Amino acid sequence: MNKSLILAIDTSCDDTAAAVTAGTKVLSNVIASQTQLHAPYGGVFPTVAKQAHKENIDQTIKLALKRAEVDWNQIKAIAITQGPGLAPALEVGIAKAKELAKEHDLPLIAVNHIEAHALSPLANSTTKHYFPALAIVVSGGHTEFIKITQIGEYERLGYSIDDAAGEVLDKVGRMLNLGYPAGPVIEQFAKKGDQKKHSVPLPMTDREDFNMSFSGLKTWARNKLEQLETQNTLDKQGAYDFSASFQYGVFRHICYKLNKLLKKHQVAEIWLGGGVAANIQLRRMIRETLKSYNNETEQPKTKLFTPYSKRLCMDNAAMIGLVAGFKFQHQQLVRNIENIERQPRWEVGA
Amino acid sequence: MINITETPEKEVVEATIKVLSMGGLVIFPTETVYGAGVDATNPAAVDKLLAYKSRREGKPLSIAVSNQELAAKYVEINEQAKNLYQRFLPGPVTVISKGLGEVARGVESEFGTLGVRIPDHELMLKILEAFGRPVTATSANASGKRRPYSIQNIMDNLSGKQRNLIDLVLDAGELPKNEPSTVIDTTLSTPTTLRAGRVKATQEDSLISRSEEETKKIAGTLMLKYWDEIKEKGLVIGLDGVLGAGKTIFTKGVAEFLQISETITSPTYSYIEEYDYERHRVKGRLYHIDLWKIESEEELERLEIEKLIAPNNVIVIEWWDQGKEKLATNLKILIEEIEGQSRNLIINHE
Repeated sequence: MNKSLILAIDTSCDDTAAAVTAGTKVLSNVIASQTQLHAPYGGVFPTVAKQAHKENIDQTIKLALKRAEVDWNQIKAIAITQGPGLAPALEVGIAKAKELAKEHDLPLIAVNHIEAHALSPLANSTTKHYFPALAIVVSGGHTEFIKITQIGEYERLGYSIDDAAGEVLDKVGRMLNLGYPAGPVIEQFAKKGDQKKHSVPLPMTDREDFNMSFSGLKTWARNKLEQLETQNTLDKQGAYDFSASFQYGVFRHICYKLNKLLKKHQVAEIWLGGGVAANIQLRRMIRETLKSYNNETEQPKTKLFTPYSKRLCMDNAAMIGLVAGFKFQHQQLVRNIENIERQPRWEVGA
Repeated sequence: MINITETPEKEVVEATIKVLSMGGLVIFPTETVYGAGVDATNPAAVDKLLAYKSRREGKPLSIAVSNQELAAKYVEINEQAKNLYQRFLPGPVTVISKGLGEVARGVESEFGTLGVRIPDHELMLKILEAFGRPVTATSANASGKRRPYSIQNIMDNLSGKQRNLIDLVLDAGELPKNEPSTVIDTTLSTPTTLRAGRVKATQEDSLISRSEEETKKIAGTLMLKYWDEIKEKGLVIGLDGVLGAGKTIFTKGVAEFLQISETITSPTYSYIEEYDYERHRVKGRLYHIDLWKIESEEELERLEIEKLIAPNNVIVIEWWDQGKEKLATNLKILIEEIEGQSRNLIINHE
């Protein structure tokens, strides 16, 4: 594999991120909201959109190069997220990438953020991978099943028609006053609760497709919480039990559709990516789904692969660099750097 | 051209019926403005009328009939409609009901509804009675032009091509400047006024939706009402309601109206999703915004929402309440849950 060093930038949404990668190897992975770039201002700073990215981007890139211990003359290409995401935020990263490509006379590689989440389990992976693989991207913005015949060849088999799984966990968590993002807190609470305490409805069972819908679960959660409040049973244990039941309900919906999908599409591997991929309970439930599936079929066992660290699950630039590594091998470069434009609604395999 | 003040009534009626029966286009007086009429059951005649009006862009035509019994052959008259017929008709009120599909294509709205009018005009009632079929009752001006109170100001605003489509003009001189008829839609469960004439609309309407489909339909009806305003300066809709109330469902209705085929998914994570649309050759953009994650005024400002407001653009803002101090809307909609699938939509016009 080509081990050319790539500097990758992602400004698709809230976080400004930069990374240096060599093929699938991650040399540095900087996410601005997690670093002390703004130490002089102390604590939290607004992370929304354009202005914040503009303020963060130079330092984030500098830090990514420093942590990778490389300098500009070793970098062979620049990778940039072209979409999907928030348009004004994407623009900041694209403008910076263009500027750097010209300044250092480097090729530019445009990457899809969802493709990057889908391939994120390959980061620093040392095992041989087999195709077709099924990527499950579960994040605050997306819930998708993507069949990967080979790198670069995708077919989206199912997706959420309304809210993303990570989003409903955040939203319902906020109803419990768990702050933002509340998903990780729900996960912690769920460990102490009884997931069988409340029975959460299973949506979209009357449909043959592999699409998902989470908005009904939101409505269910609100009604249930109101009921628990009136009954005065939403004490500490009540909140734990509710969190466990609700999280189980959300993941059960994904696993139900996954099981249905596997019966139609045989895959060698499952690649789980996106912010919610860090959730241990989700990983466990997918493994259980695979276990019963593997027991029923004669085929070689389908295995689950997940990103090696939590930082590879969240929005980050290392995964962008990883995809760019494959594209660089095939010389899939941006031909006219001046004409590259953001694609806020760019879908993979749709 | 017949001057009706100088011609015996019997001759006028006979001449008009002859023209209508042959699929001709008649300009006629009513108690409000001059109307353009063709046989509403004759497809060729309706096509002719649509060519005359030009640029209807999906706006339904309505029909004029002589009495309620005849109306009942073309629309389903519910309790509410029956009351309106008895109280206001004949008179300057158009009552929209569910159409029975008995008129030519293009007369009923794209939602299958049809407006009925019984003009409070002696001559027209005689013509309608003698004709025995519904006549389209749209105003005689070309779309977007001034309200037609005299034959002269109709003709001044027509192209030569449009003038050639007219087969007969019943000239009653300058009509008193009465407002166009008030349109009341009875296909939604509670009264809403689409166009305020002499029977004034309230600033706040409340509509009951019994299903997601009905919520989408209400959204479409409102969009149709604001279509001219959208083209002129754009429209900002603020949506509020508890989690799971159906704000995104409403937005899906807006998107359906704009003929956007992509799935509208929740914009919570990326704040703003944008969709290009083309409806009746009008090209614009739908911005679907979610302020759920917005915590501060500074964050809101960074989204630069006011920069998105432009002719042809529709901006739907969910959780508008979070930013109400800063953001002006044209239309505010609060979705309240009644029970199960039923929702109350409280609509505030600015």
